[in-house]
Amino acid sequence: MPSFKVDPISRIEGHLKIECVIDRVPELNNEYFVKECRAPVTMFRGFEIFMVGRDPRDALLFTPRICGVCPNPHSITSAMALDDAFDAMPPPAAILIRNIEEAAYYLYDHLIHFYLLIGPELGVIMGPEYGAPILPPVAGREGLEKGIGTHYAKCVEIQRRANEVVALWGGKFPHVTNYYPGGVLVEPTLERISKTLAALVPVWEFIAITHIQDILNLIEANERLKDVTEVVLGARVGLEDIGFGNGNFLSFGMMPNIDDYESDWLDTSKRNNSLFRAGAFYDGSRHPLDENKITEDIKYSFYDGEDGLHPWDGVTIPNKDKPGAYSWTKAPRYNGEVFEVGPLARMLNTFGMEWRIPRIHPITGEDYGDFVYRVRNPKGSILDRVVARAACVLVIANKVFEYINELVSLVKEGRTEVMNNKPVPREAKGRGLWEAPRGALSHWVKISDYKISHYQCVVPGTWNWGPRDSRDRPGPGEAALQCGTTWVPRLNVIEIANALYDGWGDILAEALTRLNPKYANLNMEPTDGGEYVNATIALLVVRSFDPCLACGVHIITPSKKTYVFEVSHGLCSV
Amino acid sequence: MNLSRRDFLRLVAVLGASYVLSKYKLDVIKVFAQAKDYIHICWLNGAACTGCSVSLAQAADPDLLEVLMSITTYTSGLPIALPDWMYVVHPASGTLAVEFINDWIKNETAGPKILVIEGAMQEEGYCETGGRDFRDWVIDAAGAADYIVAFGSCSSFGGIPHAKGNPTGAMGVQEFLEEVGMSDKAKGVINLPRCPGHPDSLILTLASLIQGVVPELDRYNRPLAFYGKNIHDEQCPFRAFYDKGIFADYGESEVGCRFKIGCKGPVTWADCPTIKWNDRTAFCIEVGAPCIGCSEPEWPDGDYAPFFKELTQVPTLLGYPAETWGTAFLGATALGVAVHFARSKLSGRKESESESKSEEVSG
Repeated sequence: MPSFKVDPISRIEGHLKIECVIDRVPELNNEYFVKECRAPVTMFRGFEIFMVGRDPRDALLFTPRICGVCPNPHSITSAMALDDAFDAMPPPAAILIRNIEEAAYYLYDHLIHFYLLIGPELGVIMGPEYGAPILPPVAGREGLEKGIGTHYAKCVEIQRRANEVVALWGGKFPHVTNYYPGGVLVEPTLERISKTLAALVPVWEFIAITHIQDILNLIEANERLKDVTEVVLGARVGLEDIGFGNGNFLSFGMMPNIDDYESDWLDTSKRNNSLFRAGAFYDGSRHPLDENKITEDIKYSFYDGEDGLHPWDGVTIPNKDKPGAYSWTKAPRYNGEVFEVGPLARMLNTFGMEWRIPRIHPITGEDYGDFVYRVRNPKGSILDRVVARAACVLVIANKVFEYINELVSLVKEGRTEVMNNKPVPREAKGRGLWEAPRGALSHWVKISDYKISHYQCVVPGTWNWGPRDSRDRPGPGEAALQCGTTWVPRLNVIEIANALYDGWGDILAEALTRLNPKYANLNMEPTDGGEYVNATIALLVVRSFDPCLACGVHIITPSKKTYVFEVSHGLCSV
Repeated sequence: MNLSRRDFLRLVAVLGASYVLSKYKLDVIKVFAQAKDYIHICWLNGAACTGCSVSLAQAADPDLLEVLMSITTYTSGLPIALPDWMYVVHPASGTLAVEFINDWIKNETAGPKILVIEGAMQEEGYCETGGRDFRDWVIDAAGAADYIVAFGSCSSFGGIPHAKGNPTGAMGVQEFLEEVGMSDKAKGVINLPRCPGHPDSLILTLASLIQGVVPELDRYNRPLAFYGKNIHDEQCPFRAFYDKGIFADYGESEVGCRFKIGCKGPVTWADCPTIKWNDRTAFCIEVGAPCIGCSEPEWPDGDYAPFFKELTQVPTLLGYPAETWGTAFLGATALGVAVHFARSKLSGRKESESESKSEEVSG
């Protein structure tokens, strides 16, 4: 069977490549589909090693630098781990400031994923009317006047406004500095609150009106895609059919309330009332989270030790000559099973399969109509992940105005304390569990003689992009790529665009090749059989997870090392 | 005003980057329009968190798209000129991406070729992209570049990945190029540290380089325009509190100097208090936090760690605790002396660095 690879993959965070074995499927017009996939992550820095021995509070400023795309979730997760270790529950104003700052951060993050990272591919699929505003402004100012790239350009501005709110409270973005065990360092002044409110209104408008309309347009354009696949493949294959997993979804929950912080939030088996709930969604419903069921396998990782250790007990004994190993990432599992994490996991655990989210303007009260969506594929798909991300961002954009109002009330009551200051403990341990945009994030810290003696981060990048586990099961990312419906066309991007919308491909070709004639070969990859295949859909599957791989803090694939990976039903050699 | 090539960054040094950008934006844009080609930028990511790319996307005036549609286009006539390669925004992946990087390395261009590096260099085997070790990409690209800009603390000095223990042998680009025998290239590296790099510092540096003017650099190859002033001594709006001996504790952001909660402003040189961040919204000290000194070569170790630990050497140099500083030495002379000591300590640190590191590890 032929194979191809894509290395490097742009428009994701971190260094990732995919290596895919493809095979013709007779039932689908003899077209190529991904049969086997491996997705090695190719960079390692070693945070868990160099954080040991430091002042525990340094973790607040080290861990955000694990990832500059999602630094804030690491800030708050390390703060919660230290709250726990220092036995310092943050006062209500601090909880609200954390919520507001994290909410503003989320608005930036989910938006840039849609417009800057996955948007160029979606724009092609969405066609000249719906897709043109999504595309990058490839035709410059003139093009913007004609509507090419207008939403992309607006997103560049809006994400900046959202991050100005992060900076108002955090000092700067990326890498805020206002977190502290037991609260925050920044005070809730009326100036900060009013500036926050002013900045977030246009952000809400962009999300609730423009972005949600783009999502509705995508859902409509997806039907057009199925008309084409019906002809080309002989089956109506849409974005909801591609890139599914096993139907297991894990969420740690985020954005607690101030009135039941202790009773609901701090008990991770509850988290029923937080904006997003914690839970393990399987067999079609949510089950309470049990943080003791989080384990990491190392069978295919370059570590000695045991499979199935909890992060409290996890050991990191590197052995790069370990037979059979192919990655330096461990494979996290929940209750021994593969679980996908991310926006779809958050939405399923919080709202189930059908979502109804209001769009009422926070200032004028104007009603733009509910955004309603029923999950198309209960096992996940390109479409469901993209829509879930938009639904998450709308939920957060609505809620942040409530947090602002609550903070105003506290300030009026004079309850402005933001810190429950406790000394660094001599011996302690603590953990923080939160949702990064890309999914469940947890930090596990042990303090010994006032210093960090153990720091483990179990991050979305490893949940979704870890290697095979002790039972040879691929993680969610690799599984989604080899789910059977990842079509690898021989038509190029231009031809597909023309098939979707008459003349659309020619317009794209003209704009792109003006920048560089080589763009005619966009996403075309050679197979080892000498053919050229189009990796666009495989890349859509990858980007639907919004991979963020610097987070894979202990991940490495050594260079110049070849390995053969044996699976029960075939051979994937790279 | 005609913003000439002569003293562009000298102007920045005098007036502050923030002021220059807001006042002379059109001139900044105009100076790019002098050649027949677009600006060929190759942006490579090593041991990075991508925060520097994200930081560039926070540039406000001009913003990222203005830069790409007005500045990097030069006089090419193109509607928009992307960097020849930049991981985070580029349309291409895979084979085509590798081709674009190689084209940038091989092809002669009319305009200058600028290499921007984000993230640290490491020992072989820790970072691989496009089928090659990142070190090899940098060696080839540095050889072809007219200018090399290390954007952010990691590519400048090693940053977070080179924190004590440094399991991957992380270092800055300049040190790496020295190590692989490219000293002449190493000498020219322009370091724009801070974690993340400040977008305006990059845009203004590119503006200067495109005119053929290398900015005036300090001993760590940082442009004096952005790194010429001490945070505590010359810029901090909370400085008056220090002089009066009023110090903030944890969670009291509006009143008091942050010295007692570990502020490293006295040993940090950067223009954060004036340029601020995110469209001049705030900077670390303003939100009640200490400056952690992220623009300095030793960061995150040496004097800069632990982040929340009070700096010891400034007050102890003169033998007085910080509380009595203001009342005892209201005059600037004493402060100047302290800063002088701090500076000379910084400059003399290189030799003793490895020694003190091994001490701290064993301790």
